[in-house]
Amino acid sequence: MIEHKPLYQAMISAVSQTLENMAFMEAMEHFNPKYEIPTDEVVCNSILINDPIQGEIKLAMSKSLLLKLTCNLFSLGEDEIDPSQMDDILNELLNTIVGLFMTNLLSDNQEYKIGLPETEIAGLPEIDASTIVWKLMTSEEDAIQIFATGASLVELK
Amino acid sequence: MNKILIVDDSTTARMVIKRCLKIIGLTDATVIEVAHGQEALDIIKEQQVDLLVTDLNMPVMSGETLISRIKANPKLNEMPVIVVTCAGNPAKEAQLLGLGVNQVVNKPVSAELMLTALEGICPELLITM
Repeated sequence: MIEHKPLYQAMISAVSQTLENMAFMEAMEHFNPKYEIPTDEVVCNSILINDPIQGEIKLAMSKSLLLKLTCNLFSLGEDEIDPSQMDDILNELLNTIVGLFMTNLLSDNQEYKIGLPETEIAGLPEIDASTIVWKLMTSEEDAIQIFATGASLVELK
Repeated sequence: MNKILIVDDSTTARMVIKRCLKIIGLTDATVIEVAHGQEALDIIKEQQVDLLVTDLNMPVMSGETLISRIKANPKLNEMPVIVVTCAGNPAKEAQLLGLGVNQVVNKPVSAELMLTALEGICPELLITM
C-alpha cells in the first residue's frame, strides 16, 4: 500500500515551492474556483507518471503568464524571447512540480518514475469524473491550472 | 579561476543553477553548460573541471552513466559531483551517494541549497569568491 500525504495539498505545495524558487513568484489557490483560462490564450503540457502509480499530470497557464515567467527567468525583454525558451520553461516547471508532488505524496523511501514533459497542442483537457483539477493563481492573479488523471492516482484523493 | 560544468538538457534548469551560483558569490568562476552526459564527458577529458553539477534524466547519456564513467576513471574520480534532480528521495540519494556522488540537491534548486551543498564538498570554491 502506498503511504501518502493528502493529494490536494501535495500539489499546491509543489507548485508554490517551484514557482517561488524558480521565478520568485508566489502561488496560491485561485479566489474564483469557476475561473477558466480562455481557450485562445492557453498553453499546456503534460507528463506521465509511470511508477508506483500510473497517471498523467497536465499544466496549463496563459501565454501572457508564460511570457512573463520567461522574461523574468532569462532577464530578457519580450521582443528578445525565443519560443523555444518558453517551451523549455513550461517543461522544466512541470518536471519540477511533478517531481516535488511525487516526493510530497509518497513515503520517504519510495522511488518513482515519471516520463518526459510534452507540449499539448489540443489545449485544455476534457474534464470528467476521474479528473482532479487544481485552480491556482500567482500573486499577480495570473491563473495556473493543474489536471491529474489516471485511476490509481485519483484514488489517492 | 575555477571551472564549473553544468549538465542539464533544459536551458531553464541550467540558467537557474547558474543564477544560484551567482547569488552565492561564484561570480568569477567559469561556467560551462552542456545538454547531456556525453558532451560533459568530452569536456572533462579535455580540460580541468573543478565542480560538476549534473541532472540525471537526459537524452544521449544520462547523469547516472556520466557519474559511473567519471568515478571509474582514476584521472577523474576525485572531481566533486553535485546531482540536481527532481527525482530525489532518501532511497535515490543513498543510491547516488553509493555511486560516488558528493551531494544531491532536489529541484527546485535554491541558492541556499547550493551553498549548503558546496560548503560540504568544496569550500575552497567559496573561499575564492
